[in-house]
Amino acid sequence: MTQHETKSILDDPRVLGWGSVVLVIAFWEIAARLTGVNSLYLPRPSQIVVALVDMFTTGGLLADLLMTLYRIFAGFAIALVVGTLLGVWIATSPRVRAVADMWIAALYPLPKVTLIPLLIIWLGTGGPFMLTISALGAIFPILINTVLGVRQCDPGLVLAARDLNASPSQIVHKVLIPSAIPSIFAGVRLGLGVSIILVVAAEMVVGKVGLGARLYLAGQILETEQVFAVLIVLAALGITVTKIQDQIDVWLGRWRLA
Amino acid sequence: MAAPSVAIEFKDVGLTFPASAGEPVVALADATCQFEPGKVTAIIGPSGCGKSTLLQIVRGFLTASRGTVLFIDRGTGKPAERPAMSTVWQAFNLFPWLTVIENVAFGLEMRGMARREREALARKAIAAVDLSGFENKYPRQLSGGMRQRVGLARALVMKPDILLLDEPFGALDAQTRLVLQEQLAKLVEESGMTAILVTHSIEEAILLADTIIVMSARPGRVIADLPVELPRPRSFATTQEAGYSRLFDQIYGMLRDEVMRAIVVESSA
Repeated sequence: MTQHETKSILDDPRVLGWGSVVLVIAFWEIAARLTGVNSLYLPRPSQIVVALVDMFTTGGLLADLLMTLYRIFAGFAIALVVGTLLGVWIATSPRVRAVADMWIAALYPLPKVTLIPLLIIWLGTGGPFMLTISALGAIFPILINTVLGVRQCDPGLVLAARDLNASPSQIVHKVLIPSAIPSIFAGVRLGLGVSIILVVAAEMVVGKVGLGARLYLAGQILETEQVFAVLIVLAALGITVTKIQDQIDVWLGRWRLA
Repeated sequence: MAAPSVAIEFKDVGLTFPASAGEPVVALADATCQFEPGKVTAIIGPSGCGKSTLLQIVRGFLTASRGTVLFIDRGTGKPAERPAMSTVWQAFNLFPWLTVIENVAFGLEMRGMARREREALARKAIAAVDLSGFENKYPRQLSGGMRQRVGLARALVMKPDILLLDEPFGALDAQTRLVLQEQLAKLVEESGMTAILVTHSIEEAILLADTIIVMSARPGRVIADLPVELPRPRSFATTQEAGYSRLFDQIYGMLRDEVMRAIVVESSA
Protein backbone atom coordinates (compact mmCIF):
# COMPACT_ATOMS: atom_id res chain seq x y z
CA MET A 1 0.00 0.00 0.00
CA THR A 2 1.39 3.40 -0.94
CA GLN A 3 1.70 6.23 1.50
CA HIS A 4 -0.95 8.16 -0.40
CA GLU A 5 -3.48 5.36 -0.01
CA THR A 6 -2.79 5.05 3.71
CA LYS A 7 -3.39 8.73 4.14
CA SER A 8 -6.68 8.71 2.25
CA ILE A 9 -7.96 5.77 4.30
CA LEU A 10 -7.12 7.60 7.53
CA ASP A 11 -8.97 10.65 6.22
CA ASP A 12 -12.21 8.66 6.14
CA PRO A 13 -13.99 9.47 9.42
CA ARG A 14 -15.79 6.09 9.37
CA VAL A 15 -12.50 4.18 9.25
CA LEU A 16 -11.14 6.20 12.17
CA GLY A 17 -14.33 5.92 14.21
CA TRP A 18 -14.84 2.18 13.81
CA GLY A 19 -11.10 1.49 13.96
CA SER A 20 -10.86 3.12 17.37
CA VAL A 21 -13.74 0.93 18.63
CA VAL A 22 -12.03 -2.25 17.38
CA LEU A 23 -8.71 -1.20 18.93
CA VAL A 24 -10.22 -0.48 22.35
CA ILE A 25 -12.08 -3.80 22.40
CA ALA A 26 -8.95 -5.72 21.39
CA PHE A 27 -6.91 -3.98 24.08
CA TRP A 28 -9.64 -4.72 26.67
CA GLU A 29 -9.79 -8.41 25.74
CA ILE A 30 -6.01 -8.82 25.85
CA ALA A 31 -5.54 -6.78 29.04
CA ALA A 32 -8.34 -8.70 30.84
CA ARG A 33 -6.81 -12.06 29.85
CA LEU A 34 -3.27 -11.04 30.85
CA THR A 35 -4.22 -9.52 34.22
CA GLY A 36 -6.86 -12.17 35.03
CA VAL A 37 -9.22 -9.55 36.45
CA ASN A 38 -12.31 -11.04 38.09
CA SER A 39 -15.12 -11.10 35.51
CA LEU A 40 -17.55 -10.08 38.23
CA TYR A 41 -16.00 -6.59 37.94
CA LEU A 42 -14.88 -6.53 34.34
CA PRO A 43 -15.96 -9.34 32.03
CA ARG A 44 -14.02 -9.81 28.80
CA PRO A 45 -15.62 -8.61 25.55
CA SER A 46 -15.87 -12.23 24.37
CA GLN A 47 -17.85 -13.15 27.51
CA ILE A 48 -20.14 -10.16 26.96
CA VAL A 49 -20.82 -11.21 23.37
CA VAL A 50 -21.74 -14.72 24.56
CA ALA A 51 -24.10 -13.22 27.17
CA LEU A 52 -25.61 -10.93 24.54
CA VAL A 53 -26.29 -13.79 22.12
CA ASP A 54 -27.76 -15.91 24.95
CA MET A 55 -30.04 -13.09 26.07
CA PHE A 56 -31.35 -12.57 22.55
CA THR A 57 -31.81 -16.27 21.72
CA THR A 58 -33.19 -17.64 24.97
CA GLY A 59 -33.43 -14.75 27.42
CA GLY A 60 -36.18 -12.73 25.73
CA LEU A 61 -34.05 -9.60 25.29
CA LEU A 62 -35.70 -8.92 21.93
CA ALA A 63 -39.07 -8.49 23.67
CA ASP A 64 -37.45 -6.04 26.11
CA LEU A 65 -35.89 -4.10 23.27
CA LEU A 66 -39.15 -3.91 21.33
CA MET A 67 -41.05 -2.79 24.43
CA THR A 68 -38.52 -0.06 25.15
CA LEU A 69 -38.58 1.09 21.51
CA TYR A 70 -42.37 1.18 21.55
CA ARG A 71 -42.41 3.30 24.72
CA ILE A 72 -39.80 5.72 23.39
CA PHE A 73 -41.31 6.21 19.95
CA ALA A 74 -44.99 6.22 20.91
CA GLY A 75 -44.36 8.90 23.53
CA PHE A 76 -42.08 10.75 21.16
CA ALA A 77 -44.72 10.71 18.39
CA ILE A 78 -47.23 12.30 20.76
CA ALA A 79 -44.65 14.95 21.67
CA LEU A 80 -43.87 15.62 18.01
CA VAL A 81 -47.50 16.26 17.04
CA VAL A 82 -48.47 18.20 20.17
CA GLY A 83 -45.14 20.08 20.37
CA THR A 84 -45.20 21.24 16.76
CA LEU A 85 -48.84 22.32 16.83
CA LEU A 86 -48.46 24.13 20.16
CA GLY A 87 -45.20 25.68 18.96
CA VAL A 88 -46.80 27.12 15.82
CA TRP A 89 -49.71 28.42 17.88
CA ILE A 90 -47.38 30.05 20.42
CA ALA A 91 -45.18 31.56 17.70
CA THR A 92 -48.05 33.09 15.75
CA SER A 93 -50.11 34.50 18.63
CA PRO A 94 -48.58 37.07 21.00
CA ARG A 95 -51.26 36.39 23.63
CA VAL A 96 -50.72 32.65 23.63
CA ARG A 97 -46.99 33.35 23.77
CA ALA A 98 -47.40 35.54 26.86
CA VAL A 99 -49.12 32.69 28.68
CA ALA A 100 -46.85 29.95 27.36
CA ASP A 101 -43.60 31.79 28.15
CA MET A 102 -44.50 31.64 31.83
CA TRP A 103 -45.22 27.91 31.82
CA ILE A 104 -42.24 27.00 29.68
CA ALA A 105 -39.93 29.00 31.94
CA ALA A 106 -41.31 27.10 34.96
CA LEU A 107 -41.44 23.60 33.49
CA TYR A 108 -38.59 23.40 30.98
CA PRO A 109 -35.66 23.57 33.43
CA LEU A 110 -37.30 21.05 35.76
CA PRO A 111 -35.44 17.72 35.44
CA LYS A 112 -38.15 15.43 34.12
CA VAL A 113 -36.95 12.45 36.19
CA THR A 114 -38.18 14.35 39.25
CA LEU A 115 -41.70 13.94 37.88
CA ILE A 116 -41.50 10.14 38.00
CA PRO A 117 -42.85 9.80 41.59
CA LEU A 118 -45.77 12.12 40.91
CA LEU A 119 -46.62 10.44 37.61
CA ILE A 120 -46.58 7.02 39.29
CA ILE A 121 -49.05 8.29 41.90
CA TRP A 122 -51.33 9.62 39.16
CA LEU A 123 -50.93 7.02 36.42
CA GLY A 124 -49.54 3.88 38.06
CA THR A 125 -46.58 2.15 36.47
CA GLY A 126 -48.18 0.83 33.27
CA GLY A 127 -48.28 1.97 29.65
CA PRO A 128 -49.84 5.42 30.19
CA PHE A 129 -47.07 6.30 32.64
CA MET A 130 -44.33 5.25 30.22
CA LEU A 131 -45.86 7.16 27.28
CA THR A 132 -46.31 10.25 29.43
CA ILE A 133 -42.74 10.27 30.68
CA SER A 134 -41.41 9.74 27.15
CA ALA A 135 -43.62 12.49 25.71
CA LEU A 136 -42.68 14.88 28.53
CA GLY A 137 -39.01 14.42 27.75
CA ALA A 138 -39.34 15.20 24.06
CA ILE A 139 -42.00 17.88 24.03
CA PHE A 140 -40.05 20.84 25.39
CA PRO A 141 -37.11 20.77 22.96
CA ILE A 142 -39.52 20.25 20.05
CA LEU A 143 -41.88 22.99 21.16
CA ILE A 144 -39.16 25.53 21.91
CA ASN A 145 -37.37 24.88 18.62
CA THR A 146 -40.63 25.13 16.70
CA VAL A 147 -41.34 28.53 18.26
CA LEU A 148 -37.80 29.71 17.45
CA GLY A 149 -37.94 28.38 13.90
CA VAL A 150 -41.28 29.96 13.10
CA ARG A 151 -40.29 33.29 14.65
CA GLN A 152 -37.04 33.37 12.70
CA CYS A 153 -38.83 33.00 9.39
CA ASP A 154 -37.72 35.73 6.97
CA PRO A 155 -40.55 38.34 6.99
CA GLY A 156 -39.85 38.89 3.29
CA LEU A 157 -41.08 35.35 2.58
CA VAL A 158 -44.32 35.97 4.46
CA LEU A 159 -44.79 39.19 2.52
CA ALA A 160 -44.10 37.38 -0.77
CA ALA A 161 -46.67 34.72 0.14
CA ARG A 162 -49.26 37.40 0.97
CA ASP A 163 -48.45 39.07 -2.32
CA LEU A 164 -49.23 35.75 -4.03
CA ASN A 165 -52.61 35.76 -2.27
CA ALA A 166 -51.85 33.10 0.36
CA SER A 167 -54.43 33.05 3.17
CA PRO A 168 -53.26 33.23 6.80
CA SER A 169 -53.63 29.45 7.16
CA GLN A 170 -51.78 28.86 3.87
CA ILE A 171 -48.99 31.10 5.19
CA VAL A 172 -48.72 28.87 8.25
CA HIS A 173 -48.68 25.62 6.25
CA LYS A 174 -46.75 26.68 3.19
CA VAL A 175 -44.28 29.20 4.61
CA LEU A 176 -43.91 29.26 8.39
CA ILE A 177 -43.76 25.51 9.01
CA PRO A 178 -41.51 24.63 6.03
CA SER A 179 -39.10 27.43 6.95
CA ALA A 180 -39.02 26.16 10.55
CA ILE A 181 -38.36 22.52 9.64
CA PRO A 182 -34.57 22.60 10.15
CA SER A 183 -35.10 24.13 13.58
CA ILE A 184 -37.94 21.71 14.43
CA PHE A 185 -35.69 18.82 13.48
CA ALA A 186 -32.93 20.12 15.76
CA GLY A 187 -35.56 19.96 18.53
CA VAL A 188 -36.51 16.44 17.45
CA ARG A 189 -32.88 15.34 17.87
CA LEU A 190 -32.64 16.76 21.38
CA GLY A 191 -36.11 15.55 22.32
CA LEU A 192 -35.58 11.98 21.17
CA GLY A 193 -32.38 11.82 23.22
CA VAL A 194 -34.23 12.94 26.33
CA SER A 195 -37.04 10.44 25.65
CA ILE A 196 -34.56 7.57 25.50
CA ILE A 197 -32.95 8.63 28.78
CA LEU A 198 -36.28 9.01 30.57
CA VAL A 199 -37.83 5.76 29.38
CA VAL A 200 -34.79 3.72 30.38
CA ALA A 201 -34.59 5.51 33.74
CA ALA A 202 -38.30 4.93 34.38
CA GLU A 203 -37.93 1.27 33.47
CA MET A 204 -35.08 0.97 35.97
CA VAL A 205 -37.32 2.36 38.68
CA VAL A 206 -40.59 0.56 38.01
CA GLY A 207 -40.38 -1.62 34.92
CA LYS A 208 -40.86 -5.36 34.74
CA VAL A 209 -39.96 -5.51 31.05
CA GLY A 210 -37.78 -3.23 28.98
CA LEU A 211 -34.06 -2.61 28.64
CA GLY A 212 -33.91 -0.48 31.79
CA ALA A 213 -35.60 -3.20 33.83
CA ARG A 214 -33.23 -5.86 32.45
CA LEU A 215 -30.24 -3.66 33.24
CA TYR A 216 -31.33 -3.06 36.80
CA LEU A 217 -32.19 -6.69 37.42
CA ALA A 218 -28.86 -7.92 36.04
CA GLY A 219 -27.04 -5.50 38.33
CA GLN A 220 -29.01 -6.68 41.34
CA ILE A 221 -27.87 -10.29 40.82
CA LEU A 222 -24.31 -9.32 39.84
CA GLU A 223 -24.61 -10.62 36.27
CA THR A 224 -21.99 -8.17 35.02
CA GLU A 225 -21.88 -9.69 31.50
CA GLN A 226 -25.59 -9.05 31.17
CA VAL A 227 -25.20 -5.47 32.42
CA PHE A 228 -22.63 -4.86 29.70
CA ALA A 229 -24.77 -6.65 27.14
CA VAL A 230 -27.73 -4.32 27.80
CA LEU A 231 -25.41 -1.29 27.70
CA ILE A 232 -24.21 -2.42 24.27
CA VAL A 233 -27.80 -2.71 23.04
CA LEU A 234 -28.48 0.81 24.34
CA ALA A 235 -25.32 2.14 22.68
CA ALA A 236 -26.30 0.45 19.41
CA LEU A 237 -29.75 2.00 19.71
CA GLY A 238 -28.11 5.41 20.18
CA ILE A 239 -25.87 4.98 17.15
CA THR A 240 -28.75 3.80 14.96
CA VAL A 241 -30.99 6.69 15.97
CA THR A 242 -28.19 9.22 15.41
CA LYS A 243 -27.33 7.86 11.97
CA ILE A 244 -30.97 7.82 10.86
CA GLN A 245 -31.31 11.39 12.07
CA ASP A 246 -28.20 12.38 10.11
CA GLN A 247 -29.74 10.93 6.96
CA ILE A 248 -33.02 12.76 7.56
CA ASP A 249 -31.04 15.96 8.15
CA VAL A 250 -29.32 15.61 4.80
CA TRP A 251 -32.61 14.95 3.07
CA LEU A 252 -34.38 17.88 4.76
CA GLY A 253 -31.47 20.20 4.10
CA ARG A 254 -31.09 19.34 0.40
CA TRP A 255 -32.21 22.83 -0.60
CA ARG A 256 -29.65 24.36 1.77
CA LEU A 257 -26.65 22.29 0.71
CA ALA A 258 -27.39 22.46 -2.97
CA MET B 1 -54.36 39.90 -20.64
CA ALA B 2 -57.42 42.14 -20.97
CA ALA B 3 -56.70 45.78 -21.78
CA PRO B 4 -55.76 47.38 -18.47
CA SER B 5 -58.16 50.14 -17.51
CA VAL B 6 -57.85 50.99 -13.82
CA ALA B 7 -55.81 54.01 -12.74
CA ILE B 8 -54.65 54.73 -9.20
CA GLU B 9 -54.84 58.29 -7.89
CA PHE B 10 -53.03 59.41 -4.74
CA LYS B 11 -54.17 62.70 -3.22
CA ASP B 12 -52.14 64.13 -0.33
CA VAL B 13 -51.36 60.62 0.86
CA GLY B 14 -49.21 60.22 3.95
CA LEU B 15 -48.39 57.56 6.49
CA THR B 16 -47.15 58.19 10.01
CA PHE B 17 -46.47 55.37 12.45
CA PRO B 18 -47.23 56.33 16.04
CA ALA B 19 -44.15 55.56 18.11
CA SER B 20 -44.46 53.98 21.53
CA ALA B 21 -41.52 56.07 22.66
CA GLY B 22 -40.19 59.30 21.15
CA GLU B 23 -41.50 61.00 18.05
CA PRO B 24 -43.84 59.33 15.59
CA VAL B 25 -42.14 58.06 12.42
CA VAL B 26 -43.18 59.72 9.18
CA ALA B 27 -42.81 56.98 6.57
CA LEU B 28 -44.39 59.06 3.81
CA ALA B 29 -45.12 62.78 4.14
CA ASP B 30 -47.22 63.80 1.17
CA ALA B 31 -47.73 62.03 -2.11
CA THR B 32 -49.98 63.33 -4.85
CA CYS B 33 -49.54 61.37 -8.03
CA GLN B 34 -51.22 58.95 -10.37
CA PHE B 35 -50.53 55.64 -12.00
CA GLU B 36 -52.12 55.22 -15.41
CA PRO B 37 -53.20 51.90 -16.91
CA GLY B 38 -50.97 50.50 -19.63
CA LYS B 39 -48.08 52.72 -18.51
CA VAL B 40 -44.90 52.13 -16.60
CA THR B 41 -44.44 54.61 -13.75
CA ALA B 42 -41.10 54.84 -11.98
CA ILE B 43 -40.71 56.24 -8.48
CA ILE B 44 -37.26 57.55 -7.72
CA GLY B 45 -35.89 59.22 -4.63
CA PRO B 46 -33.19 59.16 -1.95
CA SER B 47 -32.99 56.28 0.54
CA GLY B 48 -35.64 56.39 3.24
CA CYS B 49 -37.93 58.75 1.32
CA GLY B 50 -40.87 56.37 1.47
CA LYS B 51 -40.77 54.91 -2.05
CA SER B 52 -41.34 51.39 -0.82
CA THR B 53 -43.97 52.61 1.64
CA LEU B 54 -45.81 54.18 -1.27
CA LEU B 55 -45.65 50.86 -3.13
CA GLN B 56 -46.97 48.97 -0.09
CA ILE B 57 -49.91 51.40 0.09
CA VAL B 58 -50.64 50.74 -3.60
CA ARG B 59 -50.50 46.99 -2.91
CA GLY B 60 -52.77 47.35 0.12
CA PHE B 61 -50.29 45.95 2.65
CA LEU B 62 -50.10 49.35 4.36
CA THR B 63 -52.98 51.78 4.86
CA ALA B 64 -52.48 55.51 4.45
CA SER B 65 -53.05 57.56 7.59
CA ARG B 66 -53.81 60.71 5.60
CA GLY B 67 -55.20 61.57 2.19
CA THR B 68 -57.12 59.46 -0.31
CA VAL B 69 -56.23 56.58 -2.58
CA LEU B 70 -58.67 56.10 -5.45
CA PHE B 71 -59.00 53.36 -8.03
CA ILE B 72 -60.72 54.69 -11.11
CA ASP B 73 -61.75 52.89 -14.26
CA ARG B 74 -60.52 55.12 -17.08
CA GLY B 75 -63.05 53.53 -19.43
CA THR B 76 -66.14 54.48 -17.43
CA GLY B 77 -64.70 57.13 -15.11
CA LYS B 78 -66.20 55.26 -12.16
CA PRO B 79 -64.51 53.99 -9.01
CA ALA B 80 -63.18 50.44 -9.36
CA GLU B 81 -61.94 47.59 -7.22
CA ARG B 82 -58.25 47.40 -6.37
CA PRO B 83 -56.68 45.69 -9.40
CA ALA B 84 -54.78 42.41 -9.03
CA MET B 85 -51.08 43.01 -8.37
CA SER B 86 -47.92 40.98 -8.02
CA THR B 87 -44.58 42.13 -6.69
CA VAL B 88 -40.96 41.51 -7.69
CA TRP B 89 -38.75 42.08 -4.63
CA GLN B 90 -35.26 43.48 -4.24
CA ALA B 91 -34.32 40.54 -1.98
CA PHE B 92 -36.00 38.08 -4.45
CA ASN B 93 -37.90 36.47 -1.54
CA LEU B 94 -37.96 33.09 -3.26
CA PHE B 95 -38.94 30.17 -1.04
CA PRO B 96 -35.58 28.42 -0.59
CA TRP B 97 -37.10 24.99 0.13
CA LEU B 98 -39.05 24.99 -3.15
CA THR B 99 -37.66 24.34 -6.61
CA VAL B 100 -37.86 26.93 -9.37
CA ILE B 101 -41.08 25.49 -10.79
CA GLU B 102 -42.64 25.15 -7.32
CA ASN B 103 -41.75 28.77 -6.58
CA VAL B 104 -43.25 30.00 -9.83
CA ALA B 105 -46.40 27.90 -9.33
CA PHE B 106 -46.81 28.99 -5.68
CA GLY B 107 -49.39 31.72 -6.32
CA LEU B 108 -51.43 29.43 -8.59
CA GLU B 109 -51.30 26.73 -5.90
CA MET B 110 -52.68 29.24 -3.39
CA ARG B 111 -55.60 29.78 -5.78
CA GLY B 112 -56.28 26.05 -5.62
CA MET B 113 -55.25 25.29 -9.19
CA ALA B 114 -54.52 21.60 -9.86
CA ARG B 115 -50.87 20.56 -10.04
CA ARG B 116 -50.82 19.61 -13.72
CA GLU B 117 -52.43 22.85 -14.78
CA ARG B 118 -50.30 25.13 -12.61
CA GLU B 119 -47.07 23.41 -13.60
CA ALA B 120 -47.91 23.84 -17.28
CA LEU B 121 -48.43 27.59 -16.75
CA ALA B 122 -45.29 27.82 -14.59
CA ARG B 123 -43.25 26.08 -17.31
CA LYS B 124 -44.39 28.69 -19.83
CA ALA B 125 -43.50 31.54 -17.47
CA ILE B 126 -40.09 30.00 -16.82
CA ALA B 127 -39.50 29.74 -20.57
CA ALA B 128 -40.50 33.39 -20.96
CA VAL B 129 -37.63 34.44 -18.68
CA ASP B 130 -35.18 32.08 -20.47
CA LEU B 131 -34.82 29.64 -17.57
CA SER B 132 -36.05 26.44 -19.24
CA GLY B 133 -34.01 23.51 -17.97
CA PHE B 134 -33.72 24.97 -14.47
CA GLU B 135 -37.24 23.98 -13.33
CA ASN B 136 -36.03 21.52 -10.70
CA LYS B 137 -33.15 23.55 -9.28
CA TYR B 138 -33.32 25.16 -5.88
CA PRO B 139 -32.82 28.96 -5.60
CA ARG B 140 -29.44 28.42 -3.89
CA GLN B 141 -28.17 26.78 -7.06
CA LEU B 142 -28.86 29.86 -9.19
CA SER B 143 -27.00 33.14 -9.66
CA GLY B 144 -28.55 36.39 -8.45
CA GLY B 145 -29.71 37.34 -11.93
CA MET B 146 -31.34 33.95 -12.46
CA ARG B 147 -33.05 34.14 -9.09
CA GLN B 148 -34.57 37.47 -9.99
CA ARG B 149 -35.80 36.06 -13.28
CA VAL B 150 -37.55 33.39 -11.21
CA GLY B 151 -39.00 36.22 -9.12
CA LEU B 152 -40.23 37.89 -12.30
CA ALA B 153 -41.75 34.64 -13.63
CA ARG B 154 -43.46 34.05 -10.27
CA ALA B 155 -45.10 37.49 -10.49
CA LEU B 156 -45.97 37.31 -14.20
CA VAL B 157 -47.57 33.86 -14.03
CA MET B 158 -50.27 35.45 -11.84
CA LYS B 159 -51.24 37.66 -14.81
CA PRO B 160 -51.51 40.72 -12.58
CA ASP B 161 -53.25 43.88 -13.75
CA ILE B 162 -50.32 45.80 -12.31
CA LEU B 163 -46.75 44.54 -11.87
CA LEU B 164 -44.98 46.06 -8.86
CA LEU B 165 -41.19 46.18 -9.06
CA ASP B 166 -39.57 47.08 -5.72
CA GLU B 167 -35.94 47.88 -6.61
CA PRO B 168 -35.88 44.62 -8.57
CA PHE B 169 -32.26 44.85 -9.63
CA GLY B 170 -30.86 46.53 -6.52
CA ALA B 171 -29.16 43.37 -5.26
CA LEU B 172 -27.48 42.50 -8.56
CA ASP B 173 -24.07 43.38 -9.95
CA ALA B 174 -23.85 46.14 -12.56
CA GLN B 175 -23.48 43.91 -15.64
CA THR B 176 -26.32 41.57 -14.70
CA ARG B 177 -28.45 44.59 -13.93
CA LEU B 178 -27.88 46.05 -17.41
CA VAL B 179 -28.90 42.82 -19.12
CA LEU B 180 -32.01 42.37 -17.01
CA GLN B 181 -33.02 46.02 -17.46
CA GLU B 182 -32.91 45.56 -21.22
CA GLN B 183 -34.86 42.31 -21.02
CA LEU B 184 -37.49 43.90 -18.80
CA ALA B 185 -37.73 46.93 -21.13
CA LYS B 186 -38.43 44.55 -24.01
CA LEU B 187 -40.99 42.58 -22.02
CA VAL B 188 -42.78 45.76 -20.97
CA GLU B 189 -42.88 47.10 -24.51
CA GLU B 190 -44.18 43.87 -25.98
CA SER B 191 -46.90 43.29 -23.39
CA GLY B 192 -48.02 46.89 -22.85
CA MET B 193 -48.39 46.05 -19.18
CA THR B 194 -49.05 48.39 -16.30
CA ALA B 195 -46.11 48.51 -13.94
CA ILE B 196 -44.85 50.58 -11.04
CA LEU B 197 -41.09 50.56 -10.57
CA VAL B 198 -39.39 51.74 -7.40
CA THR B 199 -35.71 52.42 -8.01
CA HIS B 200 -32.57 54.26 -6.98
CA SER B 201 -31.27 54.26 -10.50
CA ILE B 202 -32.06 57.20 -12.79
CA GLU B 203 -30.86 55.16 -15.76
CA GLU B 204 -33.22 52.31 -14.93
CA ALA B 205 -36.14 54.72 -14.49
CA ILE B 206 -35.55 56.37 -17.88
CA LEU B 207 -34.98 53.07 -19.64
CA LEU B 208 -38.22 51.50 -18.43
CA ALA B 209 -40.73 54.20 -17.54
CA ASP B 210 -43.31 56.32 -19.33
CA THR B 211 -43.49 58.63 -16.32
CA ILE B 212 -41.01 59.29 -13.53
CA ILE B 213 -42.16 60.45 -10.11
CA VAL B 214 -39.35 62.14 -8.19
CA MET B 215 -39.52 62.18 -4.40
CA SER B 216 -37.81 64.41 -1.85
CA ALA B 217 -35.56 63.24 0.96
CA ARG B 218 -37.21 62.15 4.19
CA PRO B 219 -39.93 62.99 5.03
CA GLY B 220 -40.83 62.04 1.46
CA ARG B 221 -42.99 64.21 -0.76
CA VAL B 222 -43.59 63.98 -4.48
CA ILE B 223 -41.65 66.88 -5.99
CA ALA B 224 -41.92 66.17 -9.71
CA ASP B 225 -43.84 64.07 -12.20
CA LEU B 226 -41.88 63.89 -15.44
CA PRO B 227 -42.94 62.25 -18.71
CA VAL B 228 -40.28 60.23 -20.53
CA GLU B 229 -40.70 60.99 -24.19
CA LEU B 230 -37.85 58.92 -25.56
CA PRO B 231 -38.85 56.55 -28.36
CA ARG B 232 -39.30 52.83 -27.78
CA PRO B 233 -37.92 50.23 -28.06
CA ARG B 234 -35.31 51.44 -25.60
CA SER B 235 -32.06 49.74 -24.80
CA PHE B 236 -28.61 50.61 -23.56
CA ALA B 237 -28.20 52.62 -26.80
CA THR B 238 -30.94 54.96 -25.56
CA THR B 239 -28.45 56.32 -23.04
CA GLN B 240 -26.49 57.87 -25.93
CA GLU B 241 -29.38 60.10 -27.03
CA ALA B 242 -29.53 63.82 -26.29
CA GLY B 243 -33.02 63.57 -24.76
CA TYR B 244 -31.70 60.98 -22.33
CA SER B 245 -28.90 63.21 -21.03
CA ARG B 246 -31.22 66.16 -20.61
CA LEU B 247 -33.70 64.13 -18.56
CA PHE B 248 -30.93 62.45 -16.61
CA ASP B 249 -29.40 65.83 -15.69
CA GLN B 250 -32.77 67.22 -14.70
CA ILE B 251 -33.54 64.32 -12.36
CA TYR B 252 -29.98 64.15 -11.05
CA GLY B 253 -30.14 67.86 -10.19
CA MET B 254 -33.29 67.36 -8.15
CA LEU B 255 -32.00 64.29 -6.37
CA ARG B 256 -28.61 65.82 -5.64
CA ASP B 257 -30.26 68.82 -3.96
CA GLU B 258 -32.43 66.45 -1.91
CA VAL B 259 -29.54 64.24 -0.87
CA MET B 260 -27.42 67.26 0.09
CA ARG B 261 -30.31 68.66 2.10
CA ALA B 262 -30.74 65.33 3.89
CA ILE B 263 -27.04 65.21 4.74
CA VAL B 264 -27.13 68.72 6.18
CA VAL B 265 -30.31 67.99 8.19
CA GLU B 266 -28.90 64.73 9.55
CA SER B 267 -25.50 66.14 10.48
CA SER B 268 -27.09 69.08 12.32
CA ALA B 269 -29.60 66.87 14.14
